[in-house]
Amino acid sequence: MINWTLYKRGMQGSWRMLLIFAAVITMYFTVIISMFDPKLGSALNEFAKAMPELMAVVGMNPVSAELAGFLEAYLYGFIMLVFPMLFCILSSNKLISRHIDRGSMTYLLAAPVKRETVALTQMKVMATGIFALVIYATVLGIVNCEISFPGELDIGKFILLNVGTLCLQLFIGGICFLCSCVFDDSKYAVGVGAGIPTLGFVIQMMANAGKELENAKYATFFTLFDSDGIIAGQSGAIWGMIVLLAGAIVLFSTAIVVFSRKDLHI
Amino acid sequence: MSVCEVQGLTRDYGKGRGVFDLSFTIDQGEVFGFLGPNGAGKTTTIRHLMGFLKPEKGCCTIRGMDCWKDRADIQEILGYIPGEMVFFDDMTGTEFLSFMAKYRKTASNERTKELLDRFELDPRGKLKKMSKGMRQKVGIVAAFMHDPEVLILDEPTSGLDPLMQNRFIELVLEEKSRGKTILMSSHMFEEVERTCDRVAIIKNGRLVAMDKVEALKAAQARKYIITLENERAAAAFAGEELRVVKVSQNQVTVIVQNNIKELISIMNRYPVTNIVTPNQSLEEIFMHYYGGEN
Repeated sequence: MINWTLYKRGMQGSWRMLLIFAAVITMYFTVIISMFDPKLGSALNEFAKAMPELMAVVGMNPVSAELAGFLEAYLYGFIMLVFPMLFCILSSNKLISRHIDRGSMTYLLAAPVKRETVALTQMKVMATGIFALVIYATVLGIVNCEISFPGELDIGKFILLNVGTLCLQLFIGGICFLCSCVFDDSKYAVGVGAGIPTLGFVIQMMANAGKELENAKYATFFTLFDSDGIIAGQSGAIWGMIVLLAGAIVLFSTAIVVFSRKDLHI
Repeated sequence: MSVCEVQGLTRDYGKGRGVFDLSFTIDQGEVFGFLGPNGAGKTTTIRHLMGFLKPEKGCCTIRGMDCWKDRADIQEILGYIPGEMVFFDDMTGTEFLSFMAKYRKTASNERTKELLDRFELDPRGKLKKMSKGMRQKVGIVAAFMHDPEVLILDEPTSGLDPLMQNRFIELVLEEKSRGKTILMSSHMFEEVERTCDRVAIIKNGRLVAMDKVEALKAAQARKYIITLENERAAAAFAGEELRVVKVSQNQVTVIVQNNIKELISIMNRYPVTNIVTPNQSLEEIFMHYYGGEN
């Protein structure tokens, strides 16, 4: 159930965006990894000790002194959450709701291609982007660490951390894609589709910040991505990943059903 | 044999908008004109036929297939010109046409080339930068290039110059002679007159007239603007036994319903300097269907 012509068109429309995000990720990874010092504790760790609250807000409070823990704290608490999330928001709008809003969906449906196939193809364009960004970050992290600090990185843990990120981002992508299919108006699709993950992220930042707001973590799905737990090797973290992945499947399936059954005023 | 059937189609948008209990059938090889004032429900009906909207009540079928349930199968044999041409950003005309051909999994280069020549269209420019007429031509080519059996055309000649409108009429007539079934919504009287076998007029979502074009034409009224030498003569002329709509200075506008001889004999007695038949849109000609209370 894929239309390769449409898939190719979708990829043509998103590779520039992917390239920009990949460049940003490359920059952050290179800079942050260069700040790691296994013996003395990095400059960033000094920061974390000096201003624990501020650094905790953006998830930068290392649970371990290992390289994998270091990367988790400084890259997977903010950079690897926010940039793929931005990609999800932007591409979901481009793939469905903008075509309905503008009217170009007419031509996609005035052809012997099932609506399910159109939605599924567009979903695959988005998923390809998410996979590409996370796999790129994984390879980049491993290569970068092996060059600068050979043998220091626990590659298994680092890959697991990225699998977790992938599950989280697919879940976010599912929310954005569902909104794109539910709302006819691009304005609402982006508003709600971007609003829910952003709100979730802000709640997580609040929960990180202080003891009294800690319970707020139960109000956001970001908690299911327990990056600290993955590094610490807790089994609960794996369950969180499974729940996120299952949620993503449910969200995408719902989106496709909604799109196939809705009235389109195009 | 009927190819397209609409039965009791209803979609109520509230406030009297939508379509209500609409029924008609189109036969194989027939060109069916679909007319009505703006907002009458023409596009809404077409959206149902295209499977974009699910009927609230009633149903529509094309070649016996349900327009909502079997929409993807119907599209195999269907060509569509939307009322509004919206393409994809940043594609050239050539890219768009080849995208559509591949997307539909059809390869009909000969036919596409023939259509491009016919409409003197060079599709190499960016769609975004094309004029309305050029975009319309791209839409026409996209609708006909896979040689569909059934065509749904929503105001197909809007934006085209008279020469191209004529070419389009020729194309429709050729397709008709090849046995294609065509539903065409239009505001151009000439186009409908020359191509359509039957015409349906809808207003406020309801069918108000459906008949052969000749039958509707018999009831047709034409407007003439007659210029006389002076205002006095115009005033006197306006006093004759005619349906006078307007008198302004030395010009008199009359509506004549097939009794053109009578008008000519009256004109003979007056110092007439000019007579003009303004280009009448279909709205004007079928005023008695369109106008009046709801």
